[in-house]
Amino acid sequence: MHNKFNIDDLVNDLTPVKPMNINKGLALPTVIVIAFIALFVSQLGLRSDLAAGIPAPITMMRSGVLLLLGFATARAVVSMATPSVGKGSQGWIWAVGAALLFPISALIVAISTMSADMPVTVNTGWYCFKMCLAAALATAIPMVLWLRKGAPTSLQRAGWLTGLAAGGLGAFAYSFHCPFTRVVDISIWYTASIVTSAIIGRLIVPRLIRW
Amino acid sequence: MIANEETLKKLMIRAQSGDKQSYSVLLEQTGRWLGRYFSNKIASDAIDDLIQETLISLHRKRDSFDPARAFLPWIAAIARYRWVDKLRQTYKHQAGTLDFDIAEEGHEDVVGAKISIDRLLTMIPEKQAEVIKLVKVEGHSIAETSQKTGQSESLVKVNIHRGLKKLATLIESE
Repeated sequence: MHNKFNIDDLVNDLTPVKPMNINKGLALPTVIVIAFIALFVSQLGLRSDLAAGIPAPITMMRSGVLLLLGFATARAVVSMATPSVGKGSQGWIWAVGAALLFPISALIVAISTMSADMPVTVNTGWYCFKMCLAAALATAIPMVLWLRKGAPTSLQRAGWLTGLAAGGLGAFAYSFHCPFTRVVDISIWYTASIVTSAIIGRLIVPRLIRW
Repeated sequence: MIANEETLKKLMIRAQSGDKQSYSVLLEQTGRWLGRYFSNKIASDAIDDLIQETLISLHRKRDSFDPARAFLPWIAAIARYRWVDKLRQTYKHQAGTLDFDIAEEGHEDVVGAKISIDRLLTMIPEKQAEVIKLVKVEGHSIAETSQKTGQSESLVKVNIHRGLKKLATLIESE
């Protein structure tokens, strides 16, 4: 081998390492999501239906879909740090598909019930958008650090998925406070925050995780 | 002779726990495996650099190997990533006459077709793969490649760009 000298350098530099574990990679984002739920509930208050112990069906559906989207994509992100040719990890596609039900439903509802009695909830929505993004940003940080430690081979996909995962989990955390009950409001503002988070992820994350 | 998957995996697991003797054997054997893996997939004067870069990546990213999974698909993912990265770098060398279609002896036995670079290249459009081989691997100029393939010079450039971009998204595909 021509590179014998370099091999000896690498051998001398060897220290024990613990193999990266998916559960460990998910632990910190999970802790941050729980912390943000606690922060939102303590500072802004719990949704009235949740506080009363009678959650509205839309609340359950919304939180369930966001949780599914967030954790399925977060798992895919964490898994990308440990590459392997032939490793299939497409579960997140189904979660994204499920999450798309909301904006599609909103579009149908908006078209079929478009009228003057549908006030545009810009102020509340904009606040929701900002809170979701703030939580998303915090959730993205440990995922980016995890990817930097690992060896992701598709940097652009990792960027999209990190943004999607963080967006989904951030919105899930905020959903414990969010007063929206109409599918149109939920779809517009939650979709906006998740899509924005995904775009930010695509633009920024690949530069941070290149190796 | 190059060690098999089972042996390499055991060596890698021991290396993760800090066994320097096993690590030395692993790097030696992996270096040989990479020599075959990259054979005819990049200019001969770039192979040693590419092997070295891949081994350094193995060293830096050794905690990303999952002991529950196979070793060769893991190192193949790293090798493919480094290979695409190398092709993206602008380098110029004398045009050679590499025969891309001739599989190197014993290669298939060792790594399996599914994780090979040949397999990766079949996943992008033929016209893109053809110009990447001619320009980035064999070192032909854009003008020469344009003449050989019948594609305009601007199309050759576009196909190289698109092909490399596509390859980068397919690293872990088999």
